[in-house]
Amino acid sequence: MLLQVIIFGLVQGSILALATVGFAMTRQTEGFLNIAHGQYLAIGAFLGLVYFDNLGANVFVAGLLVVLSMGVIGVAIARIVFDPVRKRGALVLLFTSIGLAYALYGAIIAIFGTDVKLFSVSFGKSFAIGSASITVGEIIIIALALLTVAGLWLFLTFTRLGMWVRAVASNPELARVRGIRVQIVSSTVWFIAAGLAGLAGMLLAIIGSASPELGWANILVILAVAVMGGVGRIYAVIAAGLLLGLVMSLSAEVIPIAYQTVVAFGVLVLVLVVRPEGLFAVKRRREIAAA
Amino acid sequence: MALLEVENLVKSFGGLRAVDDVSLSAEAGKVTALIGPNGAGKTTVFNVVTGFDLRDSGAIRFDDEPIPPKRKPWQVARLGMVRTFQTPVGFPKLTVLENLEVSGSEGSTESLREALAGPRAWGDEVGKVDRRAEELLRELGLWERCDVVLEDLSVGENKLLEFARQLINDPRLLMLDEPASGVDPAAIGRLSSLIRRLRDQGLGLLVIDHNLSFILGIADYVYVLAEGAVIAEGTPDEIARHPRVLEIYLGKGEVAA
Amino acid sequence: MSSGWILYAVGVLNLVGFYAIVAMVLNLEAGWGGMWDLGLAGLLGVGGYFYVLSTVDSSGLDLNFTPGWPMLLGILGSGIVTAFVAFLIGIPTLRLRGEYFLITTFAFAEMIRQLIINESDFTNGTLGITSIDRPFATTFGGIKYEWVLLGITVLSVLAIYLLMRRLGHAPYGRNMRSFRDNETLALALGKNVTRRRIQIFVLAGFLLGIVAPLYVWHIRAIVPSMYGPDITFTAWTALVVGGIGSIGGSILGALLLVGFTQGLLFIPVSAEYTNVLSAMPQLLLGIALILIMRWRPDGLIPERFSFTPGNRGSGGRFLRSRAAAIGGLLGRGSPEQSGRS
Repeated sequence: MLLQVIIFGLVQGSILALATVGFAMTRQTEGFLNIAHGQYLAIGAFLGLVYFDNLGANVFVAGLLVVLSMGVIGVAIARIVFDPVRKRGALVLLFTSIGLAYALYGAIIAIFGTDVKLFSVSFGKSFAIGSASITVGEIIIIALALLTVAGLWLFLTFTRLGMWVRAVASNPELARVRGIRVQIVSSTVWFIAAGLAGLAGMLLAIIGSASPELGWANILVILAVAVMGGVGRIYAVIAAGLLLGLVMSLSAEVIPIAYQTVVAFGVLVLVLVVRPEGLFAVKRRREIAAA
Repeated sequence: MALLEVENLVKSFGGLRAVDDVSLSAEAGKVTALIGPNGAGKTTVFNVVTGFDLRDSGAIRFDDEPIPPKRKPWQVARLGMVRTFQTPVGFPKLTVLENLEVSGSEGSTESLREALAGPRAWGDEVGKVDRRAEELLRELGLWERCDVVLEDLSVGENKLLEFARQLINDPRLLMLDEPASGVDPAAIGRLSSLIRRLRDQGLGLLVIDHNLSFILGIADYVYVLAEGAVIAEGTPDEIARHPRVLEIYLGKGEVAA
Repeated sequence: MSSGWILYAVGVLNLVGFYAIVAMVLNLEAGWGGMWDLGLAGLLGVGGYFYVLSTVDSSGLDLNFTPGWPMLLGILGSGIVTAFVAFLIGIPTLRLRGEYFLITTFAFAEMIRQLIINESDFTNGTLGITSIDRPFATTFGGIKYEWVLLGITVLSVLAIYLLMRRLGHAPYGRNMRSFRDNETLALALGKNVTRRRIQIFVLAGFLLGIVAPLYVWHIRAIVPSMYGPDITFTAWTALVVGGIGSIGGSILGALLLVGFTQGLLFIPVSAEYTNVLSAMPQLLLGIALILIMRWRPDGLIPERFSFTPGNRGSGGRFLRSRAAAIGGLLGRGSPEQSGRS
C-alpha cells in the first residue's frame, strides 16, 4: 500500500505546491506575508463551483476561468488594499492582510453560507500501478503541478517580463533604478499568485470539499511549506510542497490521520529551529535567528 | 599586561576575506589604535571580538581567559569589554539621563520580581544609578543637557553620550568605533583629552578611526589594516614614517601628524 | 423584552472584559516586549482546558484527568501550567525574529488545538464539556448570573490594569521597551535580552492561564472550536485599535471592537440574512483592521512613555509627568512630553 500512499501524497503535495508558490512569490517581490492568500484558495473553490454548477462549464473550462478571475481579483486587491499602505512596512502589511483575510472570510460566509459543498465531478478511469491505483483525475492534478512549474520556469527564464520579476525579487531598489517598471511586475506577480491559489483551492474542493473554512484551514500549512522551502525561493518552495505532501501522507500510516496537521507544524517548528533559512538554502541563518 | 589578545583571526563573508589572519593586542592603561582605509575590516574585527559576528577561526583572550566563538555579545560585554557604534543611535525616545539609567541598570531594576513588587523594591537602585550618571555626565560636560531628548542633541553630544552609556558600567576595555567621525575639529581636541584622561585612569582603549592626525595624537600603539590584513604596527612615530602607510594615506589625502 | 436586551449587553460586557485583559497581556508581550505573538489561542486553550478538567465534576464523564479540585486551585493550576507551556514554546521560538516568531507561535497554537481535539480521552474531543460550574453561581440568589460574572470581570480587569501600570512604571518596564527599540545596543551593554523575553513570555502565559476561566464561565462550556485563530486576532485587533503600547488603549479597543461586533449580533433579522449576520463579527474585524492600518497605524508604532519611578534616591528632582495614552483613536498620535517641573 506504500505506493498508494505515495500517490496520494504526490497529489496532495502538488496542490500544496500550487497553493504555496504564489505565496512565496508575493513574499519575495512585495516583501510581506500575505495571510489573505489562504482566502484566495477558498474564493477559488467557490468560484469554481459557481462556474461548474451554476454556469454549467466543464471542469477544465471552470478551472481556467477560476485562474483568470482570481488573477484579476488578486491584482485588484493589491491595488486597492495593499498599495495605500505599502510604505508603512512589512508588519502593517501583514496585519492588513490579516484584516483582509477576515473580511474575505466574512464575505464568503455571507454570500455562500456555512455549508460544505461538493464538486460532483468524476475522476475518470482508474489505472493500476502495481498494487496501487491512480485515476485520470489524480494524474491530471499532478500533471498540472508539473506543467505549472515548467511554465513558470519558462516564463521567468525566457521572457522579458519574467526577467523583470526575477530582478525585482532579488533586489527591488536596484530594479527600480535600472528602469524596470515595478508596478507592472507587481501586478503580474499578484495575478500569477492569486490565479494559482484559486486553482489550488478548486482542486482541494474537488478532491475534498468546499467550505468557508478552507482558507484558515490551509494558511498555516502554506506558511509551513513556505518556511521549509526558504520563503521566496520559488523552486525550493515547490519541492517543499511536494515533500510535505508526501510526509503528511506517509505519516498518516503511522499516526492517527487527525494528527497530520500536527505533523506538518511539527516539521515547521523543527525546520525553524534547526535550519531557519529553509531546507534547501545555503544562506546563513544569522538574519533569521538572533545574534 | 595585555587585556585583549587576538591571534590569527579570520572572518569571511561569502568569498570575501574581511579579516585575514589578524593578530593584535590591547593593554590596560594604553590606547591602541586600529587604522586603515575604508573597507579594511576594522569594524569587522570589533564585531567578531565582541561576539556580534561569528569568527571563522582564530583565538581571542580577554584577561587571559579564552573567549569561545559562541559567546554572545552580552556575555562579552559583561566581561568588561565593551564597544561603541559608529553611528550612535542610542535609545532615541529617552533623555540623556534616562539613556544612562537604562544602560546602567542592574540588580533590582533588572528583576521582574522586583518590578512587580513596586517602587520600594527598586527605588534605591535607581538613586544609585542616578548618582553615578550625574558624576559621569558632569565629567563629560553633558550634565546641563540631562533632560534633553536625544534627537535634540548635536552630533558631538551624541558621540559623548555613546561613550557615557558604556562607561557607566565601569568597563575594563573600551572599544571605540570611529569616535571622531562627524565631530567638528574644535571638539576633536576635547575628545582627545577625554580619551587620554580615561587612559590615565587605567582604562584600556582600542580605537578605530581613519583620521590619521587624531589617531597619532592619542595612540600608544598602532595597527594598520588594509584589505583585512595587518600591514604594519608600531608606535605612532614609527607608523607616521612607514612607507606603506604613507602610500595609503597620502593617496587618500589624509594629513600625517 | 428590554430586560433581555440588558442581560445581553451585560454578557457582551463580560466578553469585552475578557478581551480587555487578553489585549493588556498582549500589550505587555507585543507592545512593550516586541514579541508579535500569534499563539494566544493556544495558551488560552491550555489554560481553559486545564481549568475545566481539573475542576469539573467527573460524574457522567469518562476522562483520564478529572481530579475535581476546588475552583481556586484550578485557576492557579491553569496559570502555572500555561506558564510552563509558554516556557516550552518560548525556548525554541524566542530566538527567532519577526515573521518567523509570528509563524511559529501561530503554528503552536494550531498544534495545541489539534491536540485538544484528538486527545479525546483527556478532553472529550470535539464534544467538549458543557454545563460548567461557575463561581458564586448560587450565592446571589435573585440576580441573573451575568451580573455576578460582570462583577468578577470588572475586578479582574482592574487587577490586571494595576499590575500593568506597576510594571510599566518600573525601570524594568521602561528598559524592556528600550531594548525592544534598540536590541543591538542592549546587547552591547551586557543585557541578556533573550532571558528578559522569556520572563515576559512566561508571565504572559501565566496571566493568560488565569484569565482563561473567565471565557469558559461566559460561554459555560468548553469546546476546541473556541480556541481557533478568531480569538487571537480579535485580541490583536482590539489592541491595535486602542493603540499598541497603551494599557488604557487595550481596554478601549476591546470595548469598541467587541462591543460593536457582538452588539450587532443582537439585531433581529429575517431568515435570508442570517448568513450575513453570522459573518458580521469576522467581516467587521477584518474591515476594522484594514482601516486602522490605513488611517491610524500609530497603533503599530508604540506610544512614547516617560515614566517617573516613584522613589528616586536623589530626592525626586526629575519629575516628569507621565502622559498616558487614552488610545490611538482619540487625540492625535503620541502624548506630549511635558517639560521639567
